[in-house]
Amino acid sequence: MKILVCMKQVPQKDAPLKLNESGTWIREDVSYEVNEPDAFALEEALRQKEKHSGEVVVITAGPARAQQVLREALAKGADRAIHLEDNACVGLDASNTARAFAAAIKDETFDLIFTGLQSDDYGYAQTGVVLAELLGWPHATIIMQIEKTEGGIRVKRELEAGYFQFVDMPLPAVLTIQSGINKLRYATLIGIKQAKNKPLRKVTLAEVQSAIGANMQKIERLYIPQKTKNTEFLEGPPAEVAKKLVEKLRNEVRIL
Amino acid sequence: MADSILVIVEQREGKLNRVSWETLTAGQALAAETGWILEAAVAGSGVANLANEVAGKKIAKVYAIESAKLEPYTPDAFAAALKQFIGSKRPRLVVMPHTYQVRDFVPKLATAMERTAISDCIGYKKDGDKLLFTRQMFQGKLAADVSFACDAPWFVTFQNGAFRGDKVEAGVAAAPVETVNVEIADGIIRNKPQEVFKEAKQAVDLTQAEIIVSVGRGIKEQKNIDLVRQLAEALGGELAASRPICDSGWLPMDRQIGSSGQTVAPKLYLALGISGAIQHIVGMKGARTIIAINKDSEAPIFEIADFAVVGNLFDIVPPLIEEVKKAKAGA
Amino acid sequence: MLVFRKPIPDIERPQMPADVVIVGGGPAGMACALRLSQLIDQHNASNPNSQLSKENIYVLEKAREIGQHCLSGALLDPRSMRELLPGFEKEAPLDAEVMKEAVYFLTEKGKFKFPITPPPLRDHGNYVISLNRFVKWLGSKVEETGITIFTGFAGSELLLDGDRVTGVRTDDKGVDKQNQPKSNFEPGYDLQAKVVILAEGTRGSLTKQLIARFGLDRDRNPQTYGQGIKELWEVPSGRIAPGEVIYTMGWPLTTKEYGGAWIYGGKDNVVSLGFVVGLDYPDPRVDPQRVLQEFKKHPLVARLLDGGKMIRYGAKSLPYGGWWSIPPVAGNGWMILGDSAGFLNSQRLKGIHLAIKSGMLAAETAFEALKKDDFSAASLSDFQRRVESSWIKDELWKVRNFHQGFEHGFWRGLINAGLQQFTGGRGLRDRYPSTAGYQHLKKLTELPADGGDEASLLGPAKGDGKLTFDKLTDLYHSGTKHEEDQPAHLVIHDTDVCNTRCIKEFGSPCQNFCPANVYEMVDDATQPNGKRISLNPSNCVHCKTCDIADPYQIITWVPPEGGGGPNYDGM
Repeated sequence: MKILVCMKQVPQKDAPLKLNESGTWIREDVSYEVNEPDAFALEEALRQKEKHSGEVVVITAGPARAQQVLREALAKGADRAIHLEDNACVGLDASNTARAFAAAIKDETFDLIFTGLQSDDYGYAQTGVVLAELLGWPHATIIMQIEKTEGGIRVKRELEAGYFQFVDMPLPAVLTIQSGINKLRYATLIGIKQAKNKPLRKVTLAEVQSAIGANMQKIERLYIPQKTKNTEFLEGPPAEVAKKLVEKLRNEVRIL
Repeated sequence: MADSILVIVEQREGKLNRVSWETLTAGQALAAETGWILEAAVAGSGVANLANEVAGKKIAKVYAIESAKLEPYTPDAFAAALKQFIGSKRPRLVVMPHTYQVRDFVPKLATAMERTAISDCIGYKKDGDKLLFTRQMFQGKLAADVSFACDAPWFVTFQNGAFRGDKVEAGVAAAPVETVNVEIADGIIRNKPQEVFKEAKQAVDLTQAEIIVSVGRGIKEQKNIDLVRQLAEALGGELAASRPICDSGWLPMDRQIGSSGQTVAPKLYLALGISGAIQHIVGMKGARTIIAINKDSEAPIFEIADFAVVGNLFDIVPPLIEEVKKAKAGA
Repeated sequence: MLVFRKPIPDIERPQMPADVVIVGGGPAGMACALRLSQLIDQHNASNPNSQLSKENIYVLEKAREIGQHCLSGALLDPRSMRELLPGFEKEAPLDAEVMKEAVYFLTEKGKFKFPITPPPLRDHGNYVISLNRFVKWLGSKVEETGITIFTGFAGSELLLDGDRVTGVRTDDKGVDKQNQPKSNFEPGYDLQAKVVILAEGTRGSLTKQLIARFGLDRDRNPQTYGQGIKELWEVPSGRIAPGEVIYTMGWPLTTKEYGGAWIYGGKDNVVSLGFVVGLDYPDPRVDPQRVLQEFKKHPLVARLLDGGKMIRYGAKSLPYGGWWSIPPVAGNGWMILGDSAGFLNSQRLKGIHLAIKSGMLAAETAFEALKKDDFSAASLSDFQRRVESSWIKDELWKVRNFHQGFEHGFWRGLINAGLQQFTGGRGLRDRYPSTAGYQHLKKLTELPADGGDEASLLGPAKGDGKLTFDKLTDLYHSGTKHEEDQPAHLVIHDTDVCNTRCIKEFGSPCQNFCPANVYEMVDDATQPNGKRISLNPSNCVHCKTCDIADPYQIITWVPPEGGGGPNYDGM
């Protein structure tokens, strides 16, 4: 099984974010970490490799600092890494990121491509599905489980409200992986050491420029959401307060 | 052709997903704001009756997009069918709810039409002639106003709860319904989905809960949690807790809300006996309505509560459970 | 039920051979690695036939990222950096050069400015830095030279063979709250090293093991400590200039407590301010975080911070003991650097430059040992000789009795300090003794119930949410995070002492001296005093105060699972 895992580096979850001068993006002087959903995608890929042998390749599009994500993936057991390195990658929308990936891997033959569920910064949940369409591959999203079958794979898809569904799919395919389905493995000292000698191919944006176009959407403004809170205190003896609360629940919150 | 907004509602196994009413509300609001014509569509096999249901609302026209191959749902079939339909109708704006199913096919559909989707929006604004769609970014820490930088059709999906399904306007008379048969060639559909089934989830996903009843140190003892559980059940909500409760093992860790637990933004967050330390607040301040009950009038939780009760939760929760049950029984 | 972290017994551990293992990626550890790398490069350039390899030289850093656990004021004396990297000022992240100092003695509302800045506190020529950023930069230079820094790995145990240190065991990962392996369990590695260099910072846990094992504190003064507690603020521009340095003494402390504050103007309108409290105060109810909040209420500080925003919080202990507390720094397979050894000038309040210099000297020793392939005690004792003939000794010798002089109160301390100035550090006698801080703690029965003069320092701060903060709110701004499902790493050897004795005798001071709300006495009807000790280990900011200050000395801090801890971005 040759599996590609698309990974992203995002600002650390608790990092205090500051807006840039123009109010269109954040200031980049924060700490970064791997997008957690992608870590679960990587974990699943590594498990598939352990079960069926093969190769796991990781790819990311981002500035030089994003290399850290690839290094960590290699330390955990990925075999090769591809770094689409350019500061401008941060500003590419999901469509363009997918286009850039497709161009970067055009000479490779993968059986499966995994992405995380969505990114913790943008939260669009699109890159994997766009990539599938560009490649002309079948896809499935929010996948909990993958099994190899005669004709390809059988995946378990999560639906809302506690529903699930098995889907049979041919290969090659793109899957977006649900978070939390496995415990993430730790990188070991040996893994970290060995990672230094694993191939890391750099791809410049110029090399894939012909595949991408202008962004089709634009962040006009990024801002801290304002909330005006007028706290209404409900008073009286408990029985009365209970009634007042229910009245609020019925008329204002609308859940009764 | 006049500018139009197309709302695509969602159905599964012959029933409309009720989030569809929210999407219609969104469509109605956008239509009123822009002056564009509002139309809706439902895709599937044998969905005429669902189209009729939608036609009861204030809307210009409803389409039933029909093909046997649309049942069961597959992204290949839906993308192909809708591409055909939208390609011929060419609405300016296509609006859908941000459900798991929509996430599964909209990026494919948009890409196939060489367009893009702005997904998971919580609202919209008009800036002169431009439509801006508001989204949460960085897990709700920041908000972004996003515009389209390409030609129509523009695809937008709205977050669950961004609009009020109960506020959708009824129509004066039933809107016309048109059945559109779409051709889906052989070989288009590559996935073979099996039956949908329900399974008891291993871990509770509080991020999906609409109503959360949360308990903190004020509950004093483990056995008192049962009282709160009754309230959660009466309201049809999920039980959650602040860190110390989970640390003591009184509730499992997957019920923890806060910086070291889950971050939630439900419709209603009821905080009982929770002081509101910042570590907890960051996990729930995105809730649409926050109600707090605490003995301490200076508890920081009151600063972010919409409705506040300074009092003893043990005195208030029992009558509250009764009143909730009465209200639900239709009193 | 509290279960404490312990290396899982009787399991097979992966073995990894190493030439040099440096435990700790702070200024001392990084300087050591960098200097060693320079020496090896130089050697290899002129010795094509006997190349030395850097392949098996490792730095172990418990934080997820380099510099993440580094906290200090800080003011850098550039002396040792200029030796390590001449011209470093051009590329290192320095906030500002110090251009203005003032020292104040504070009363509750007033201040008295020292007409002349006492020489030890004169900082012209020094730089205001963020130690976190500085170490990040230094670490990147180490990585560039090809030395592997393992981040997210802690040194959890020393490996010993007789009287020889043979290596370091790293932390077990994926262990649950009951100390049982989880499905993603990874056993700690046994790094078999020719020399282990301990650069763990203040009150190093392996250093503590080493000192206990070989009785290295025999004939030494017990090490004494302070706790530095810091907030980083963004203030409206113009309030304080970059490079402006302010020290204060006096209020809110009384003559019974040792300590004082610093305020440093950084760049971009960021102010570093903090309080250092000697961990030898008599009243166990003293809460250093409260002291910092009280300090901010002084008009001098309140005016500075008005309209500003607190952006980060942290705390760390610091070793005050000086020259007489420093143990032997080299032995059979080991060396100790920086704060772990106690290389800190408590009079100047500076230790970073000494840490860096000690790292360089250790590197020189390690280099010679690598060349000869001789890591015996005799060979490594070269480090001891280098330190004693370097300016580290010159500097620390002059202040060898400084902190001890304060053991009997503030004024006596000042007099002693004055005397020491004129006698090359001697003062009244060559070596002042010292007592470990916790031994100064008085029992509650010996203290006024209302706290007397110290009342405003005792117990938790309430905070107004704008200028002052309660501990939990402050703690949130330390960015501290740990894997939740792991055993408690604050090892209390006998919790009965907490529940039956300490609570009565000292009122459970752990709740006060811990700057992170790790320790809590919670209601428990089954206990004789109605309360029992409870821990919130994932709040820990790795300051080591509990290991130092608990009156019964029954707490041993061990590293939690690597990667966890505070996030001292910008500190």
